[in-house]
Amino acid sequence: MGVLRAVPRYGFVARIAARQQWIYRGELWMRSIAMVLFMGVFMALWSTAFRVSGQGELAGYSLVEIVWYLAMTETITLSTSRVFVDIGDAVKSGDLAYTLTRPVSYPFFQVAQSLGNSLPRLGLNLLTASAVVALGVGLGAGSLPGIAAFVVTAMLALLLDALIAVLIGLSAFWIEEVMPIFWIYQKLLFTIGGLFLPLEMLPAWLRRISLWLPFRYVANVPARVFVAFEWREVLGAAAGQIAYIAVLTVVVLLVWRVAQRRMVVHGG
Amino acid sequence: MKTFRLVAGYLRHNLMSAMAYRGAFALQVFGMLLNDVMLLFFWAILFSHFPALQGWTLRDVVTLYAIVAFGFGLATVVCGNSGRVAHVIASGDLDYYLALPADPLVHLLVSRTSLPSWGDALFGLVVYLIAAPERWTTLPLFLLLGVLSALIFVAFSVIAGALAFWIGQSQNLAMQLQNAMLTFGLYPVDIFPGLVRVLLYTLIPAAFVGSIPAMLLVEFDWGRLAGLFLVTVAFLLVARGVFALGLRRYESGNLVTTRG
Repeated sequence: MGVLRAVPRYGFVARIAARQQWIYRGELWMRSIAMVLFMGVFMALWSTAFRVSGQGELAGYSLVEIVWYLAMTETITLSTSRVFVDIGDAVKSGDLAYTLTRPVSYPFFQVAQSLGNSLPRLGLNLLTASAVVALGVGLGAGSLPGIAAFVVTAMLALLLDALIAVLIGLSAFWIEEVMPIFWIYQKLLFTIGGLFLPLEMLPAWLRRISLWLPFRYVANVPARVFVAFEWREVLGAAAGQIAYIAVLTVVVLLVWRVAQRRMVVHGG
Repeated sequence: MKTFRLVAGYLRHNLMSAMAYRGAFALQVFGMLLNDVMLLFFWAILFSHFPALQGWTLRDVVTLYAIVAFGFGLATVVCGNSGRVAHVIASGDLDYYLALPADPLVHLLVSRTSLPSWGDALFGLVVYLIAAPERWTTLPLFLLLGVLSALIFVAFSVIAGALAFWIGQSQNLAMQLQNAMLTFGLYPVDIFPGLVRVLLYTLIPAAFVGSIPAMLLVEFDWGRLAGLFLVTVAFLLVARGVFALGLRRYESGNLVTTRG
């Protein structure tokens, strides 16, 4: 029952954060410019690579498919919200103590805030990326069911990313600077998360490791269901995302419990 | 000479300030080092599938990364405020620098250092030396090119930030321009189509902070080096000029600031 009562509360937080994104539209447009920039670079790079090699396919991907794949991974990555910065600042300044009186759990408040920030960005980034790539390489990848599957798995990916971001932010209770942790997470997304390269291009041993970790569910999995839509793969992808979301939710709860004790010890 | 003493003094002060929290400083430097190493992973995988891209091999791209990282790191270590020029202008913080006898632009730029950028500079230097051990003999050239690259980074950041004199709240635009410079700079310029390449040699001079210095390190050419010097001087003069022009339009926000 408690969980059912909490959902509208966190939904309200997410809704307000989403509306705030629309008020500061300038920042949304700046993200679109970043998307155009990145997709321009990727299209140039991969067009040159395929032309120079003379190959029609690489690890099962054609030029059009790989560019659309990268459009989808960038759509998600440029939609994420850096709540770990706010959490880290709140921990360092002590402002976190004031949030304890609110009728919401602070980490899940931040998760809701992150989702609220991300969802409008997801919509705009998807439109921008699709427009740029369609103009650049054409529409030779994806499908309508693929788009629907991408939207669902992308939203689950953003929820997963939000939980990871909250964990990064809570690490401020132990280390002063959280940015290095974020850089490592971001680079894990770049590599074994499949952000810059489909996992099929990685060496076999690294691909096996990536299959067990949550990072591919943030970038690779949603992009793959768009490019190579198959119902079985979509259901498997969503199940994996939901499983990791459940695990990380428990981890966030445990870390928050320990962190609160540290806050009492240092707060005095 | 006074300007040199100002820059050296602030660099020493900023480093001492960073060392007051050694753990946090070391974590940021190490974190950025690891960050930069993992960026090279993408190229290592790409070049396992393609032997070369428009004449660029993996070693050439590693050289490119080394010079961009070192140049960018040096730029933001010494001129840590170069990415915040628009913010300083729009918020009225410029008043502090105008009231003091030092050159306001130089003072503004050097009054802060970017802690993670020490990791970028270190990464650039180490990667360059590791990529080819015989490169110890070309280390002076690498350092010189790194300085030129850093100066172009700073000059471009000043131009982008100075737009705030005319546009006002242009922090996001300035940040996007700086990101564009860095992003394009990390890729060999030869992979881009003609029109984009023209852009990277002119309005967004990313070719001059990465590809041109990397080409000089792979195959030295006096003419190309002289050209790079001229471009660096030109951008510095333009940056100075744009800032001075903008300063004539500047109106104080009567912001009261205290600095410890």
